[in-house]
Amino acid sequence: MRLFEATGEGTTEIVIGEDIRERHEALAERNRALLRERGVRAFDIAGSVGSGKTSLIAGMVERLSPRRGVGVIAGDVATTHDAERVASKGARKVLQINTGGMCHLDAGLVYRALQEMPESGLEVIFIENVGNLICPSYFALGVEARVAVVSASEGAHVIEKHPAMFQSADLVVLNKVDIAEAVHVDLSRPIADLRALRPGLRVVKTNCLAGEGVGEVLRALRLD
Amino acid sequence: MHEYAIASEIWTAVLAAARRRGGGRVRAVTLELGALNLIEEEQLRFWLQALAERDGSPDLAMRATTLPARVLCGQCGAESETAAPAGEPDHFLLVAPRCPRCGSAEVSVVGGRELRVVSAEVEVHNGDC
Repeated sequence: MRLFEATGEGTTEIVIGEDIRERHEALAERNRALLRERGVRAFDIAGSVGSGKTSLIAGMVERLSPRRGVGVIAGDVATTHDAERVASKGARKVLQINTGGMCHLDAGLVYRALQEMPESGLEVIFIENVGNLICPSYFALGVEARVAVVSASEGAHVIEKHPAMFQSADLVVLNKVDIAEAVHVDLSRPIADLRALRPGLRVVKTNCLAGEGVGEVLRALRLD
Repeated sequence: MHEYAIASEIWTAVLAAARRRGGGRVRAVTLELGALNLIEEEQLRFWLQALAERDGSPDLAMRATTLPARVLCGQCGAESETAAPAGEPDHFLLVAPRCPRCGSAEVSVVGGRELRVVSAEVEVHNGDC
C-alpha cells in the first residue's frame, strides 16, 4: 500500500517557517525600546485572583506619588474597580485594559496601552496582569521585572504547583502573612519550595492592606 | 487556557501567509511545538479549528510534532534531550531540569520552547479570472 500526502489537486503546501514565540519576543523587545526611549521603568505585577496585586500596587503608588510620576495599567477580564482604586492613591494616569476573556496580558496589548499613556511626566508604570498564576508565565511583557504576588491563603503547596510562574519571576511577594495561622498555612513550606526552585530569588513578606513590607518591595525593585 | 492565545497567533500567521500566496481555504497546518510550552494539543486543535471556521476554512487539520526539551550542561558540556522522569508530570522539567549524561542541575535550557508554524496546505484556484 502507498500513502499519498493530502496535497492533492487544487491545494498547495506553503512554507511559513515562523516561530510564534520569536514573534512575541520581538513585540516584548519593542516595548523595552519604547520604555527606554521614554525613560520609564515598568513592572509586571502577576499573581492569582485575590493574591493582593491591586493592594500592593495601591500601596506602592501611595508611597511614590506625587514625588514621582506613576502610571498604572490594570488588566482585567471586565470592570474598572481596580483602576478606580489605584487612581484614588495618586497615580498620574490609570488605564484599564479589559481583555474580554483572555486570561493574561501579552506584549501586544501592553504596547497598545503604552501608546495611550502620556509620553512625558511618568517615571514608573505598574502593569497589573490578569489574575492567573498560570498563563501569564508564558508571555513576557518586555518590562524591567516581573513581581509574582502570592498570598498565604493560596495554600502551602502553591509554589510547587505553579513552577512556571515562579521560574519567570524576578521578585516574589508573599502577601497576607498576617492570616497564615488562621488559614492553617505554614509559610516555611512555600519559602523552602522557592529556595529549591530558584535559589537566588528574593522573597518579601507583606501585609499589603496594612502597608507592611510595601517599602521593602520598593527597595527590592530599586524604586525607593 | 493560553492555548487560545497561541492558536490565535498561529492562525494569524497562517492566514497572512495564505493571503500573500493568493491561497483560499486552508486545509491543514503543520506545527512544531516545544515540550516546555506545556500545550494541551486537543485544546489547541479546538481553538485553531474554531478560528479557521470563523474565517472560512472549516475542518482544518492540525499536524503537530512535539520537539523535546534540550539542555546544555554547564558541568560536562553535553547538549542533550531531556524528558520528565517516568511518572512525573511534564512540568517537572520546568522545576528541575538536569543533564541526562552527568546528572548536574547546572544546565541551561536550549530547546523545547519552540512554537513554530512550519507550513500550511491551502487551496489554490487556477485560471479563475
